[in-house]
Amino acid sequence: MIGPRHMPLVLKQVWRQRTRSLLTVLGVAVAMFLFASVQAMDRGVTRATSATRADTVLVVYRENRYCPFSSRLPEHYLQRIARLPGVASVVPMKIVVNNCRASLDVITFRGVPAEGFRQYARAMTFLDGSFEKFEARGDAAVIGEALARRRGFRVGDGFDAAGITVNVAGIIRSDEPQDENVAYVHLGFLQRANERNQEGIVTQFNVRVTDAALLPQVARAIDEEFQDDQDPTHTRTEKAFVEAAARDVVEIVRFTRWLGWGCLAAVLALVGNAIVLSVQDRVKEHAIMQTLGFGRGLLARLIVAEGLVLGLIGGSLGTAGACALLWLRPVSFSTEGINLTVSAPPGLLAAGVVGSAVLGALAGLVPAWQASRREIAACFRAV
Amino acid sequence: MEREAIIRCRALTRSYRKGETVITPLDGMDLDVPEGDFLALMGPSGSGKTTLLNLVAGIDRPTSGSLRIAGVELAEVPPAKLAAFRAEHIGYIFQLYNLVPVLTAYENVELPLLLRRELSRRERHARVAAALGLVGLADRHDHFPRQLSGGQEQRVAIARAIVPDPKIIVADEPTGDLDRASAGAVMELLGRLNRELGKTIVMVTHDPRTAGHARRVLHLDKGRLVREDQHDHEPALAGEGMAR
Repeated sequence: MIGPRHMPLVLKQVWRQRTRSLLTVLGVAVAMFLFASVQAMDRGVTRATSATRADTVLVVYRENRYCPFSSRLPEHYLQRIARLPGVASVVPMKIVVNNCRASLDVITFRGVPAEGFRQYARAMTFLDGSFEKFEARGDAAVIGEALARRRGFRVGDGFDAAGITVNVAGIIRSDEPQDENVAYVHLGFLQRANERNQEGIVTQFNVRVTDAALLPQVARAIDEEFQDDQDPTHTRTEKAFVEAAARDVVEIVRFTRWLGWGCLAAVLALVGNAIVLSVQDRVKEHAIMQTLGFGRGLLARLIVAEGLVLGLIGGSLGTAGACALLWLRPVSFSTEGINLTVSAPPGLLAAGVVGSAVLGALAGLVPAWQASRREIAACFRAV
Repeated sequence: MEREAIIRCRALTRSYRKGETVITPLDGMDLDVPEGDFLALMGPSGSGKTTLLNLVAGIDRPTSGSLRIAGVELAEVPPAKLAAFRAEHIGYIFQLYNLVPVLTAYENVELPLLLRRELSRRERHARVAAALGLVGLADRHDHFPRQLSGGQEQRVAIARAIVPDPKIIVADEPTGDLDRASAGAVMELLGRLNRELGKTIVMVTHDPRTAGHARRVLHLDKGRLVREDQHDHEPALAGEGMAR
């Protein structure tokens, strides 16, 4: 595009109108911060709701119930589900949340039997603490990494939520988005923790099937098994269950994609405006440079490079700021016990930096073209 | 033996439309400027001096007629290559210096050299240092234009014009904005460039004292050549460039 020898010239022109350039960079940074945040939210929804070939988990819920408070299933369904063909394992789960509404800081307790949890937690990595510590205490909790960072919990800490007091026995990292913001506790402990004794009652069953291809037929078989019982079931894949349960939040997050596109348009407009003003200020100077032998193409490329620099600096600051904030203070949308974790996807920083640089360059195209088309003599006559 | 004309105009005409009126600032000019000549163009405002200068500098196009610069018919040079032609053959000195305000004296002089890919940073530095030394501003290389006097700014502009070692220097009223002492210094410098480095100089001026430094003075009026005066100066040694 332009040689390294031209870069000092470009940077000096950018730095020439410091206030204007700083305001432009600030505007681009804010826009790219929002864009990166929207991308991170979108990624959280996509991760939580997009099925993959590796997904082999079904969620069995009480039919026509949509909230962990209202879904109550007998724990003894466990044996009948486990006997069905294609079922690899079943974990009964009781779910209690400290806030049933959509919120950014919900703690979701998942009560699981210790023996089932050991098998269920095979894909999890203990960052601190251990499974043995979990087994050793009745009020022990194994919490997700995002929850630990958000609340600053460490192993050995006690905390209280929804009237339940637990002690942190481990902090886990998991590929499953739902695990990042929950606190796993003993099933019996959680059933008894409520003011109404709910022993023998669970919220749902998480069923792992032997083959992903069997998911539809196992789900059908489970629902048929209990269709005439007092508590009929509705079984879906975990991702479909999440999408249905958190439909409102998912729709809101998906709407924010438009805000993301708006942010990019704002970057384009901000840089474009700055470059147009800068070029208008320098009509004579461009005529001088052309007189010295700077070709129209080179002049245009220098102006485009100014836009690129503004976009690059602002975009880098904004995207890096968003990524840093999400890393330091993880956020998750929780509703009905479902967590949608906002996390910076791999490559977001690079995409934001490159994208904003490209947008900056695009914003400079029109003023660059206009400046390069001016007749030199006419410019001298005009100023 | 008569030297070859580095600038050759035949029936050179430039006209443009302003509203309903067609203005012809240059009307059928015939002119030969030998290499190493020092030419002053004089005349009242609107006589076509600057138009002729701009045509010679390749920043304006003739409406009709022929204009050959260094053996090249300018009308035949594609617009895309005209800038390269200017960079190679023409050094332009403006009345109001026209330095880039955010660049230091050194960087202003370096500007035309940024177009030369074949020059390394070290070579560019050597050339800029030589040019600034020639105009007596080696110690002002890191000064911005606002930190220089008018005469110093014009000398930086001269250094910028000569640093790519062009054969032709065009100057549009180079002393028009200077006091008498600074004007004298600038004209002395242009005289040296002509005599010692063989630069062909075409200069527009209103000032007879400034014109007195030239070997030939052409008087223009209404776009035509009306009179030519010859001064008895030492002719330049054609072809003695600064970077040889």
